[in-house]
Amino acid sequence: MSTNLRDYLKKYSEGLFNSLKSSEDVSLNLHSEDSDFIRFNESKVRQNTSVSQHELSMVYKSAQRQYTSTTSLTLDLEKDLQFALSKLAEIREQLPKTDVNPKYSEMQNNGVSEVYKKSDRSSTADLIQTIHSTFSDTDMAGLWCSGPIRQASVNSKGQFHFFENDSFFFDYSLYNGPRAAKGFYAETNWDAKIFDSQAQQTKNTLSLLSKPQVKVKPGAYRSYLAPMAVAELMGMFYWRALSRSQYEQGFAPLKKLNLKEKLFSKEFSLIENNLLGLDSHFNSIGEKVPDQIPVIENGELKNFLISTATAKEYNLVSNQAESSEILRSPEIKPGQLDEKNILKTLDQGLYLSNLHYINWSDPQTARITGMTRFACFWVEKGEIVGPIQDLRFDDTLYNIWGSSLLGLTKNQQIFTSTSTYNRREKGGMKVPGALLSQFNFTL
Amino acid sequence: MQTDNQKNEKTKELSFNEFKNYKSEADFVAFKTVTEKTREIAVRNGKPDDLREFNDSGLLVEVMINGHMGYGATSEVSPEGIRYAFQKAKDMTKAAAKIPVFKFDQSIRPPSTGRYETPTEQKLDQLSISEVYDFLKQCTSKIKISDQIITATADAMLIDCEQNYLSSTGADFRQNFNIVVNSMEATAREGSETQTRSLHGGRGNCLQTGAEYFKAPSALKNALKACDEIAQDAIDLLTAEDCPSEVCDLILAPDQMLLQIHESIGHPLELDRILGDERNFAGWSFVQPQDFGSLHYGSPKMNVVFDPTVSNQLASYKFDEAGNPSEKKYLIHNGILKAGLGSLESQMRSKISGVANSRSSSWNRAPIDRMANINLEGGDLTLDEMISQVERGVIMFSNRSWSIDDYRRKFQFGCEYARLIENGKITKILKNPNYRGVTVPFWNSLAATTKSDTVETYGSPYCGKGEPSQIIRVGHSSPFALFKDIEVFGGG
Repeated sequence: MSTNLRDYLKKYSEGLFNSLKSSEDVSLNLHSEDSDFIRFNESKVRQNTSVSQHELSMVYKSAQRQYTSTTSLTLDLEKDLQFALSKLAEIREQLPKTDVNPKYSEMQNNGVSEVYKKSDRSSTADLIQTIHSTFSDTDMAGLWCSGPIRQASVNSKGQFHFFENDSFFFDYSLYNGPRAAKGFYAETNWDAKIFDSQAQQTKNTLSLLSKPQVKVKPGAYRSYLAPMAVAELMGMFYWRALSRSQYEQGFAPLKKLNLKEKLFSKEFSLIENNLLGLDSHFNSIGEKVPDQIPVIENGELKNFLISTATAKEYNLVSNQAESSEILRSPEIKPGQLDEKNILKTLDQGLYLSNLHYINWSDPQTARITGMTRFACFWVEKGEIVGPIQDLRFDDTLYNIWGSSLLGLTKNQQIFTSTSTYNRREKGGMKVPGALLSQFNFTL
Repeated sequence: MQTDNQKNEKTKELSFNEFKNYKSEADFVAFKTVTEKTREIAVRNGKPDDLREFNDSGLLVEVMINGHMGYGATSEVSPEGIRYAFQKAKDMTKAAAKIPVFKFDQSIRPPSTGRYETPTEQKLDQLSISEVYDFLKQCTSKIKISDQIITATADAMLIDCEQNYLSSTGADFRQNFNIVVNSMEATAREGSETQTRSLHGGRGNCLQTGAEYFKAPSALKNALKACDEIAQDAIDLLTAEDCPSEVCDLILAPDQMLLQIHESIGHPLELDRILGDERNFAGWSFVQPQDFGSLHYGSPKMNVVFDPTVSNQLASYKFDEAGNPSEKKYLIHNGILKAGLGSLESQMRSKISGVANSRSSSWNRAPIDRMANINLEGGDLTLDEMISQVERGVIMFSNRSWSIDDYRRKFQFGCEYARLIENGKITKILKNPNYRGVTVPFWNSLAATTKSDTVETYGSPYCGKGEPSQIIRVGHSSPFALFKDIEVFGGG
């Protein structure tokens, strides 16, 4: 892409805003990326796809009504503007025929800012060869993803926020037949030494899987969840559980926590931590997001995520959550356990490096089900006995983060978002490992 | 002013005019354009919840160099944007071609020509936002049958998609899809109990159709009747007993079978999973290459087809996105595994019989092995006859929860609504019904299916897979199905 997106957006917004009537407001929210996706199997390249993708969402507001029209941009300014004006005409004709929106709020000028972050690394073509060489002695499957992501929010009240972050991640797993170990590498800048060291650690984990498999029967077991497994569990907090709007509409797994009928462990604190720097400093409507929001503090629910729309509808105070009211950069606070000694602390039970495909099995009681995945081991007397056959768990968040939680590790790991559905997502999370007195397995 | 149709035509014309400049620049070159307009109208409690549209448009460039296929994609459909996307695809493919998983030949992209269009009485572009809004608003009003209903929602996605494909070996085809995804949902509350009931579970109610979905003379009447039923079900669930925990017979309704088919037949039969492409993300498969032709996947009552030729089902098409003509094929016949869900690329790699299923979510993703319409064929019982054969069991409706391991063996699924069956008769309403099992033993416990006139057609607009990730639309039709000795349980 040779076009300067910032300058393009300035001209585009000027052209569009000039066509507005005094009773109308428009905000423009940009997602743009230039991405390289390299898909590996057997340590070789299965597919390479390079994508230049630019989408602009035009939020039109007038007479207590709102409509969002998103369009792929060709970056031919005249052509793109002409299409936007045709959409504006359609909306003006259709929207008055609908009702007043109970979530409607007036557009605000949330200021002006520009942030640019650059990542230092070799060309993707060179890194393909590096990755191949590093794993040529093993069977690797995974995804390399790199390139700039841009987000902007501009509105007819004068607001202009622009954020660009050039980043990369390599998300992969190594195989010895059906046994697998998971690896993940994402830094601000590519560091060959760190990459090699992490690759070697993953290879070492894979070698532990060569021990004879241990068959574990369904039941409740003392378990250690490594940070990547905790990151999977965190997904349930993303899945409507912390949304105030969902709570009001009747989806309320954390209702008892909110009503203080049940508490999580005092060890458990969850914050929305925008200071991690994994996401933009403004949300998708351009509101500056708070540096930190305490969500669950020492086991007590302190805040749901509340968007400005939900705040308007239910007469609450917004904490500038996204309209979807999902977490952007959550952090589970660390505990006192030393991860280096975790096998000894676990003594006997399950070491779970990853979990998979978690879903609500009874949302009213915050009961969830999912599977163990990748390198998971049976441990006795503080030593790994062998890998386990994958198990299905079915337990409640109240048990996992409450009565069963023995402690969290001192060290935390950061996982940048690897979500690439339709487009790359920003954000990520920072989490420790967790030791549970029991974790219930059913199949 | 530029209309949506004019924009579609311009995208296609510009791309295809540029194609001649690039078609000899690699061993194989293809251009695919996708223009897709999605309108989403959501109404909650009689008021607008969300009104939005997405006008997506872009170009996917395919190049083959030394047997390796690589891709460049851009929304910048201009001579300059196309030049950049092509050069990027070529450079990256050249680098990747030094270490390819497999060296293909051009037979993976047949020179197909032709056209497909969703059969409709009236195109979706003839339907205005306000017409659909009014329809859905009436639905939410109908759902609000008592103060116990705290949330009544109705929403619709209207999708108008055009794909065009042109290749250096002579492929030239166009496919136009009109799609409606329609959901209705009632949430009821009394004291500490909250229950939700929907029209066939989340987004299960989806098909290829036109404006007649909303405009046909009986459309609104039928929708309002359905709204009344789900609202009453939600209220009934408030005082229902929890599903018991026991091993018993299980009848699954078609709107749960869609999920059972999807997760425990569709995904494990994808050849790219079996070949290991998906191991790092969606997972591998318990199915081994040598299982085709011999594995007793299920009981002899089990007949499953891949069929993108069904009129109006969600994933119907004439060609997959590599140009392979679609045709009906048995994946499982009389319980024996016969064929996999593999494109021409996967068939060449694995030497296993496959289907026309090379598909991508849009212009910005490379095609991979996907489901299309995966359907379980009907059997020989009426539903009453099936129920009368059950001494003690549960009949479950509408998917609520789904989870399965990365090899597609151990699953646990939950439904919105169930009824107890005692001595061949339906008795109590049950809330929070769940069941769990292991794929092959589960399908081998299939004892009966109802007749083909009881088959219902659903699907999902959100099947996720791939690195980078993609969602795709899949269709599933099924009769009611009876399984013996299944572990069922409730909530709490």
